[in-house]
Order: sequence, then structure tokens, then C-alpha cells
Amino acid sequence: MFQFRPLRLFSAAVLAAVSASPAFAQADFSGHWAPLFHEDHPERLPGPELGDYLGIPLSEAGRLRADSYDADRISVVPEYECRPHAGDYMMRGLSNMRVDAIRDPVTSRLTAFHLRMGFQEMERTIYLDGRPRPSANAPHTWSGFSVGTWQDNVLNAYTTHLKENYIRRNGIPASDKRTFTEHWVRHGNYLTIETVITDPAILTEPLVRSQTWVLDPTQQMGRDICETVPEVPKAADYVPHHLPGTNPFLREVADWYGLPAEATRGGADTMYPEYRKKMGKPANPPPAICVRYCNCGLNGGGCNVQ
Amino acid sequence: MIGHGPNRVALLLVMWGVSVSAQRGAPPGPPPTPKAAAPVDLTGYWVSLVTEDWRWRMVTPIKGDSASVPLNPAGKKITNEWDPAKDEAAGNQCKAYGAAAIMRMPGRLHITWVDDNTLKVETDAGTQTRILHFAGTAPATEKPSWQGYSVARWEGGLTPVGGQLPLGLGPRQSTRSRSLEVETTNLRAGYLRKNGVPYSSKATVTEYFERFTEPDGNDHLMVMTVVTDPEYLARPFVVTSDFKHEADGSKWDPAPCTAR
Amino acid sequence: MGRAMHKAFPASLAAAAVVVAAVSSRAQQPPPMLETLRVQNNVYAIFGAGGNVTVQVGTDGVLVVDTGLASSAGALLAEIRKLSTGPIRFIVNTHAHPDHVGGNAAFSGLPPDPRGVTPDRAANAAAAIADPLQPLNIIAHENVLNRMVKALPPLQPGQTGGSERLRGMPIDEYFAPTKDMHFNGEAIVLYHEPRAHTDGDTVVLFRGSDVVSAGDIFTPDAYPFIDLAAGGSVAGEIAALNHILQLAVPGHTEEGGTYIVAGHGRLCDEADVVEFRDMIVIVRDRVQDMINRKATLDQIKGARLTRDYDPEYVTPTSFVKADQFVEAIYNDLRRAGLSGPPTR
Repeated sequence: MFQFRPLRLFSAAVLAAVSASPAFAQADFSGHWAPLFHEDHPERLPGPELGDYLGIPLSEAGRLRADSYDADRISVVPEYECRPHAGDYMMRGLSNMRVDAIRDPVTSRLTAFHLRMGFQEMERTIYLDGRPRPSANAPHTWSGFSVGTWQDNVLNAYTTHLKENYIRRNGIPASDKRTFTEHWVRHGNYLTIETVITDPAILTEPLVRSQTWVLDPTQQMGRDICETVPEVPKAADYVPHHLPGTNPFLREVADWYGLPAEATRGGADTMYPEYRKKMGKPANPPPAICVRYCNCGLNGGGCNVQ
Repeated sequence: MIGHGPNRVALLLVMWGVSVSAQRGAPPGPPPTPKAAAPVDLTGYWVSLVTEDWRWRMVTPIKGDSASVPLNPAGKKITNEWDPAKDEAAGNQCKAYGAAAIMRMPGRLHITWVDDNTLKVETDAGTQTRILHFAGTAPATEKPSWQGYSVARWEGGLTPVGGQLPLGLGPRQSTRSRSLEVETTNLRAGYLRKNGVPYSSKATVTEYFERFTEPDGNDHLMVMTVVTDPEYLARPFVVTSDFKHEADGSKWDPAPCTAR
Repeated sequence: MGRAMHKAFPASLAAAAVVVAAVSSRAQQPPPMLETLRVQNNVYAIFGAGGNVTVQVGTDGVLVVDTGLASSAGALLAEIRKLSTGPIRFIVNTHAHPDHVGGNAAFSGLPPDPRGVTPDRAANAAAAIADPLQPLNIIAHENVLNRMVKALPPLQPGQTGGSERLRGMPIDEYFAPTKDMHFNGEAIVLYHEPRAHTDGDTVVLFRGSDVVSAGDIFTPDAYPFIDLAAGGSVAGEIAALNHILQLAVPGHTEEGGTYIVAGHGRLCDEADVVEFRDMIVIVRDRVQDMINRKATLDQIKGARLTRDYDPEYVTPTSFVKADQFVEAIYNDLRRAGLSGPPTR
């Protein structure tokens, strides 16, 4: 018998409206993404020059940590050999990325984005289901714990519980006290992610950077297996580092590129346009013609020092 | 109990009917103006945060240094031939301040609404002014310029395809975009960087302006710039420039273009 | 607790609540907020009782590494009882400091098996029946026992000492480099780490669960307290951390795998221990360098050699401030008479 039940119809309509929630994706970030190196190509791939702290709002503590860094540590200390990039550094786009949309098997609601990086097989999850953060006593991980919320077509994510890692691969550290915020936005086949790192131990202001990826459906992500092997015999209590004031490599970037040495020491001032008025002249003028990393990205290619 | 069968069909028909009738009734008014329809407020003063590409932005890069730019051989040749004295002699000091590169210049932006359909972006670096038109295309008589002709639109979000009837599917959902999309053409040949990395007059520039609010209350503006140039670029050149909101223009510091 | 209280203590969960109330009221403070996290398998960590506490539970009973502060004993026991009602069979003390042994006495006052020991366990649940077949053993390196005994107040006239004075003492001491156990289905190895944080440090490896209890050898959020007066040393501290690194095996992408319960601070793994070890080595090298250049202690302190690490390891409530850390290293290096930085 066909019967109208007005009250139940109304309830069902309300239920249908309520269930149309932002837990369904506001944008689709899933897919294979290749990083674009149209900014800071030499720093991000071959690696930053020693002593290059340009544009990093370093604290005094962060600067000394960076000055003390000796890259020998990566091979001499076995535990560093296979150290992966942390959740914030991996977004500098050093390797290809696959983003998977994770859905509730019953409701099809999007509950998370899961990222896998080609480098060191790093994985990250950005939870979208509003789950609570782990305890302050819980372990920290490389990728941290990330929770995301939608704001129209933008995914905002906030990450805590990060292990100590680096802001640049020339020794500028990133402490385990840091957190970072991301803003993901997609335009066509471009995915842009702005990261804002707040590190009370290393930085005096948030570090804002943004990177772009391009959709690459033909990408085949393979394995990147790292095996720790002691390479250099050493005393058990030896850790490579430079004593304060003794690092001989800190002037290289200023000399090679004709930059004011003080600017290369970083600090929040160096981020702002007015810094140019007070940064002074370089001790050595820049070369008349480029001799280092001049053609990175030429024809869309790679980056060699010559 | 609604369940399946006739009662379910009745429910769906009622929902569709409610949706349709909501669209009838009073005649639709004029669409909101771009200013009224703005999903995000981009106006105000913004200062560059030069945390990336520092030695290509805060200082004039070394001649011949085109690192990170996907130039083709023709573009690389032009780069290696850069002569700022020639640019000065020709009155082309502003060649590196065109629309394809101005967002990379360390400086401040001042964004305002000229009227309901026009945004203005002023820069203190090079004292440039960009006009973002929310309608129309470049007039035929418009001469190429450093800033070209910019057409803006609030980027369309996602709208349901296939009407409103949710037969067999979950509820449809529209998504609004918070991004301003700007297409710029009619450009004079200029430089992507102050050391003569070129773009041609055939270049087009597509930009997306985003505003983000951080947990600490700071607001950031991110401008994604895509430069497509069949003459000098092997592929589109994509950069993102970040800015921090400032309370006022007290640090506004106009400086003329320089070729060096 | 006094002898009368000890005799009257009934062997039941309800009695445990009495203990909690007595300890709490005696401390005249609200019970501490404790947090329990599962580490791996049946090994748990409890935070907030003073030093961190490790708890292994199973059909054999309960093994506890350290017992926190005396004032937290009641709350700690209540937290353990959420994990298991089994008898607390073993306490292992990582060292003799009161924030790690403070609960020993209270735990020693508990009956071995609160479930009762007659065949009709349910009927005897509230009965005060001791089970000599499931005694509590308190284990530590003999240097811990020696220091705790030395710290006892002198006997007053008329006092005779005896078992009551030794309540809570780790009289099941060991003196060899290691001690093996098997409990709740896994091997547990105790390692003496000579002259590290103190001269009585024990690191506990739960071999099956892949968990290490490090005691105050490892404190990821604070400079280490190198207790020179209690026999600690910088070289021993570094050697102990190196040993923990040998015991730890990380999982995929160099995280997880072996988890380390620190003396204070969050749960960690190998990568966190490496950072801590490296910090100590680097600061030691800096101090040694200034000693080699004939700097005085005041000059060394004035050089602020730890200023790059202070934001991570010093807070207003830190037990070890930067100057104290540097001074301990200085005094130890001077005492050891090292003549130069370690060679490769």
C-alpha cells in the first residue's frame, strides 16, 4: 500500500542534507606527482652549499648547530646512513610522490590521504577523520602526526610529533619541538603545497616555503631500499663535528657567488626586502660569468655543478 | 519505514521537487559582482618572504646563471648575452619587472579594489601597477606592456555534473574555490630574472592567488606563476611566491626599476 | 608505612585502594595524573609517577622497572592494576635515585597475590593471605643496594633494624655484568652500565617485546644528570648510550623496531638515542677543547658551549641546567685527566 509519511520524509531529507558533509573530498589530490625544481634546484637536488643559510630565520642556536655540522656524520655514524627525510622536508619535493585517497569501506567518506615518496620509501598519512592527536609521551616519527581540514578547495594540515631532522641538508637542523602547517591546493595538473614550519629551538620566525608538483600518471615508483653498513672504522665515542668557530667551509658560498658574508649567516632579517639596504657589499665580487650550477633545468633537464 | 519500493521513489521525487521549487519563485537577481562574490579577501599590504631562490632574487644573479629555469637553447643563448648597459641605454630598466617576474621581486604589494570588477596590484619594487580585469579581453588597440593585460576570475569550483537527481548515488556536493585565477597576455618581452633570463612577447602568464591563515593568526599570500613561452622555455616555468600580510603600508618603500 | 600498617594490610584490591588513600593523604597532594601507553606486546610505560615506569604483564604476574616517587606509589599501583591483577613478582631498579625507587617500600607492603592463593581464589579474594610461592623480588645492581643502605638514617636508641628497615631494598642484587631472567614468556636481560648516570645503572632489555628500559641514562628532553657523586661519568654515560644503540634495531625507514623507555620523557627509538648521544659527545668535545686550551671553569661556562642545544634540553623546570651539565663534564674530564679529544 503506497503511503506518504510526511514526518519521516522530512527526517530523511534532513538526514540526506546532513550527510552531505565536507568529509567528502573538496579536491582530489590522489595520483602520481612529480616535483618541479623551478625554484632552488641546486639546493634541493645536488644539495645546498655549506654555510648557505640565506633566507632562513635562524636563531643563534640554529646557527651554531648548523656551523657545527660535519657531513661525515652521515657515513661515519651508521644510524644516520639510512635516515629518511622528515614529513616537512619531504615536501621540498626531492622525490616523486604518490597520493592515495583512503576511504571508509562502508560510507566511502574520505578519511585520509596517504603519501608515499620514492626516496627511502617514506610514507605519511594526513588524517581527515578528526581523530585526536597522540599523547605528548607517544613516540615521534619522521613523518609526524598530521590532521587535515578542508577550507573550500584547500586542504589545511597540521603536523606534530616529528623527530629531529633538517631544514637544509647542509646542517641546518629541525628540532623535535617543531610543528608545521601545510596548505594544499590543486589547479589542473599542478599541486602546490605551502609549508610553514614553526621551530622554537631553531627558528625565530615561521619558515614559509612552497613547492609545486605536476601530475605524472606514467610514473612508476620502484623500491628505494637502504641498508645500514658500517663504512668507516671509528672510535665508539667519535661523532664528526666542527668545534665552534672552526668550520673552514662557511665562507665558500659567499666567495663563490659574490654574496655578503653576513647575509649567508641567515636570520629573519634576510627574508625581507629591506635587508638589501643594510646587507653591505660582498668581500669578493661575484664572478663575471656563472661557473657553478649555471644550467640546472636547461631543457627541463637535471643539475650538475658545471 | 521508508525502505524500498514506492515509498523510496516518492521520497526521491519529493526531494527533487523541493529542489526545483526552490529555484522557482522570485525572478533571479543580477549575479553578484566579483568584489561581492570574492570568496577570500586579497586586499591589503603584503611583504615578500624571500626564503627561496634567495641568490636569484635578493641580489642580481651572476650573468649566465639560469639555474632552475627550464630554458631552451635559444633562451640560454639570450641569457649568456645579457648586457645591462644596453637595457639602460634603451630605457628598459623595467625589463625584469614585468608580469612574468614581478611577483619574484623582493618588495611589497598593495592590493585594492578599483571598482566592483577590477583589482589593482601595486608593487613598491619598480613602482609597477597591475590591473586585473574581471571581464573582457585585451582591446585590439592595447599595446604590449611590461604588465600586459590581465583577465581575472574567481576560479570555478566543482559543481555537480548530471543535474540534481541523486538516483543511486550519494548527495551531490558543490565545492567552492578560494583561488583567484589571472591570465596575462599582451606582454612586452622581458626578463624572468634580473640577469637577463628572457621571456618573449609570445609568453603568457597564468597565476593563482591564494590566501592562507595560519594557527598563529598570520596571513600568507601565495602566488603561483606559470609562464608559458614557446620561444624561450622548454616547458612551462612554475614558481610560487610567498608573502606575509602587514597591518598597514608603513613600510611601503617605492624604488625605481634598475637594470643591474 | 609503619609496621602496624603493614600487618593490617589486607590482600585484596580494596586494600590497594586503602594504600592509595593513605599515601595520597599522607602526601597532602592530589594524586598525580599518570598516563599509561602500550609500548609493544605486553610491555607498557607509565608516565608521571616521577621517573618513567615500565610494566610487563602476563600469566606469570607483573614485572615493574622502577617505581617512581614514594608519593606516587598509590596512583602507580592503581595504574598497574588496570593492566593486570596478577602478583607483582619483580621490581627492577635502574638506579638508586628516589624518583625511581620511591615506590619500592609501598610495593613491598603488598601481598604477593591479591587474588588469594587457595584453590577457591574467588572466595579468598579479600583474604589477607600471603603466598610464599610468589614473593616479590627487588633486583638492582649491588651498587644500588649499597647506596640505598648507606642512605638509611642511623638507628635510633632502642631501634633494632631488621627486615622492616630493609623493606623496599633491592636485596636480590647482582654484581656480574649481566643478569638473565625469563618471565611472561620472554627473555629479559639486565645489563649493568658501569659509571654512567651513576655507578649502579641497569638497562633492561625485554628481548621478545623488543623494548629497552634505559633509566636516566637516556632523557630525551633534558640534559643527562651525570651524578659524579654517585659514581657517574661522561665516558660511562656515552658508553651506556652506545650499548643501547647496539641493543636497538630500528624498523623500516629507521624508526620503530626497538622502543626505548627513557628515564624521563617520551617513548623513543634508536634515532632519538643517537641524537642524544651525539649531543653529549659534541658538548664533551667542546669542553675538552677548552680544557686543552687551559680555560677555567668560569671561562668555559661563559663560552655558553651548549647554546645550540639549550632550547631543546632546558626548560624553566629542568633538573639539569646548562651550567650544571657543563660543570659535570668539566669536573669529570679533569678528574679523568684526558689529554685530548678521542681519536678515530
